Amino acid sequence: MIEVKNLKKVYGKKANTFTALDDVSLVVEDGASIAIVGKSGSGKSTLMHLMSGLDHPDSGEVLIDGRCIFSFKPKQMDRFRAEQMSFIFQSFFIQPNESCYDNVSLPLEIAAVPAKERKTKVEKALASVELIDKINSRARDLSGGQKQRLAIARAIVNEPRILFADEPTGNLDSVTGGVVEDLLFGYCKKAGATLIIVTHDMDIASKCDSRVYIKDGKVAIPAKKKRQMTKRTAPVAPRRRTVS
Amino acid sequence: MKTTDVLRRAGRSLRQAKARTLLTSLAIGVGAFTLTLSLAAGQGSRDYASELISSNVDPQALFIVKDETIFGEGGQIGASGLKEYDPDTITTDNGQSIKSLTPDDIVALGKRDDLVAVQPFYQVTARYIKIEGSDKKYSADVSVYNPGVTSESAAGKLPPLGDDIEDTDAVVPESFAETLGVSANDLVGKKLTITVAKSVAIPPQEELARILATEGPAGLERLNSGETKDVELKIVGVTRKSATTLSAATGAQVSSTQAQALNDYTTQGTDKYQKYAAATAKAADGKSPEEVKAALATAGYPSKTAKDLQGLLFAIVNILQGIVIGFGILALIASVFGIINTQYISVLERTQQIGLMKALGMRRSDVARLFRYEAALIGLLGGILGAGTAVLVGTLLNPMITEQLGLGDGNYILVFQPIPVIGLIIALMVISVLAGYFPARKAARLDPIEALRTE
Repeated sequence: MIEVKNLKKVYGKKANTFTALDDVSLVVEDGASIAIVGKSGSGKSTLMHLMSGLDHPDSGEVLIDGRCIFSFKPKQMDRFRAEQMSFIFQSFFIQPNESCYDNVSLPLEIAAVPAKERKTKVEKALASVELIDKINSRARDLSGGQKQRLAIARAIVNEPRILFADEPTGNLDSVTGGVVEDLLFGYCKKAGATLIIVTHDMDIASKCDSRVYIKDGKVAIPAKKKRQMTKRTAPVAPRRRTVS
Repeated sequence: MKTTDVLRRAGRSLRQAKARTLLTSLAIGVGAFTLTLSLAAGQGSRDYASELISSNVDPQALFIVKDETIFGEGGQIGASGLKEYDPDTITTDNGQSIKSLTPDDIVALGKRDDLVAVQPFYQVTARYIKIEGSDKKYSADVSVYNPGVTSESAAGKLPPLGDDIEDTDAVVPESFAETLGVSANDLVGKKLTITVAKSVAIPPQEELARILATEGPAGLERLNSGETKDVELKIVGVTRKSATTLSAATGAQVSSTQAQALNDYTTQGTDKYQKYAAATAKAADGKSPEEVKAALATAGYPSKTAKDLQGLLFAIVNILQGIVIGFGILALIASVFGIINTQYISVLERTQQIGLMKALGMRRSDVARLFRYEAALIGLLGGILGAGTAVLVGTLLNPMITEQLGLGDGNYILVFQPIPVIGLIIALMVISVLAGYFPARKAARLDPIEALRTE
C-alpha cells in the first residue's frame, strides 16, 4: 500500500517561490491502478517524482508498506527503485543505439540480476509485448508504438511491484496507444502490480481503478472508485484523446 | 551493478562514438608513442653501454688518479684562485693545473698487494709517423696498448687478454690501412716509424743572440724544431673497427715500456716529466674493485672502477632519456584535456540516458564508474595504439638506425621490453581515469528529474 501524506513541494527561493504541491494526500492499494490527472504544470509530475523517491518534498511523507521512502539512504532508495519500481515515459527514453535486448536488460543489470537469469527474463518481457522477433534489432529502427512497447518490456522485465507511467500514450496515435494501454493494464492485473499513471488523457484515466485530479498543486477531486465514476459524466478535465 | 556489466556498457558507449573515441585515444597515443620509444631508447642505450664496457673493460680494472677533480668531483678542474704551489702539479694543455702521480706514487701503488698491473697513463705526442711502403708523413695519435681491453684483430695477431705487446711491436687500427689504401693484412709486419720531438727549453737571451749571430735564422729554426728521435717498430696487429670496441684506438698503439720511453723523451725538461695524470691497474684476483677503490681512497688515490665508468655512461643516457620522457609527458598532459573535454561532451550528450539509469535505480557510484571505465578504455586504446605503433616502427627502424650509427650487428638502440610497456599502458589508464574524474562526477550528480524533463 502506498500512502501519500500531506506532501508539500516548493520550488524557488524567497520571493520567487512556487508551490508545486500543497498538502497532497492519497492512498493507493496494492495491485490497484490510479490515474493522477491534471493539466500541464498542475504538479502531477512532481507528485510522481516524489512518490517514486526521485525527489524530496519540503514536508509530508510517502509511505510504502508503512515505511517512509524519504528516510531511506540513497543506496537503499536506489536499490528499492531498481527492484520494486519501474517507469514508462511519454518520450520512451529507450537507447536508440542499443539493441532491444540491451535496452530491456538494463534494469536487470542495475539490479545485479545474475547473467544467466537475464536472458530468459528479457525474452519473456519482449515476448509479452510481442517484440521477440526484434530482439537483436536496434531500438532506433522501431516505430513509435514499438518503442513504447519496448519501454514497457523494459519496465516489466524485473517484475516491479509499482509501475509509474508518465503520459504513456502521449506520443502515440489512438490505435497504438490502445495497445500500450492494454499491455500496461494487462501486466499489472496479471502480476498484481500497482500502476500509477500520470496523464491528462481522460480515456486512459477512465480505465484506472481510481483517479486523483490535481489542480494548482492541490487535490481537486479526491480519488473515487471506478464504478462511481462511470455513473457520472466527465468531471474537471474534458474527455479527449491526444493524437501526436 | 556488476563490474562486467558496467565495463560492457562503457565499451558499447565508446563504440557508438567511434570517431570521437579514436581521436581522443590518438592524443594519448602520441604520448604513449613518445614514451615507449624513449623507454626503448633508454634501455637500448644502457644495454649498449654495458655491452660496450663489459666486452671491453676488465671488470677488475681501476682508473687511479691523484686529483679527484679529474672526475669532476670535489671541485672544478683546475679551479682558479690562489693555490699553494705543488711541485707535483702538471699543467694541462688548456692551462689547468692538476695534481699528478709521480714515479714514487706508481711504485707505491705497485707495492700494494690488492693491485696488479699498475701502469701510468703515458701521453705520447708524436710529431709524425711513417709507415713502410709510403713516403708520406702522417700525424696520428700514439697511445699505450691496453692489455686489459680486448680488441678484435682484423689482421695479424694480438696477444691474449692481459698480456702486453713486445716493446718493438706496434698495433694499428684498421683505418690506417684504409687511409693508405692497402689491405689490413698488408700492414702486418710492416715497419712503423714514430718520430718524437724533445720539448724545447727556451735558452737564455745571450745564447739566443749567439746562435742568431753564428748560424743566422736557420739556427733559430733548428732550435725551434728541437731534437727529434725516430723509433722503429714492427706492426704485429691491425685492430678491427668495432662498434663495441671501446679502445677502438684511432692511433697507433705501442707497449707501455715503449710509451714510457717516448713519454720521458718528449717531456724531458718540462714540468710534465715523469708525472702522470692517471694510472690504470687491476684489482688483484679475489679482491672486489669496490673494496680496492675504498682502500685506495684512504691512501689518497681517488679511483674509478669499471662499474663507475658504466654509471657515468648511464647517467648521460638517463639525462637524454629524461628529456625525451619530458616531451612525452607534455603530450600526455595535452591529451588529458582532450579526455576531460570528450567526457564532458559525452555526459552532456547522454544526459537522458544517465537520467534514465538513475531513475531505474542505478547508483551514483555506478554511474561514476561507467564514465571512469570509459576513460580507462580510452587510455587503454590510446596506450595500445601508441605503444603498438612505437614497437612496430621501432622494430622496423632498428636495423636502419644500427647501420646509420655503426653500432655493429645485433646491437639495437631501441629495446622494447614488455614490462615497461605494459606498465606504461596501465599508467595511461590511470591518468585517463583521473582525467575523467570531473566528467564522471558530473554524470553521477546529475538530477534524473532534470535529465528526464522533456517539456
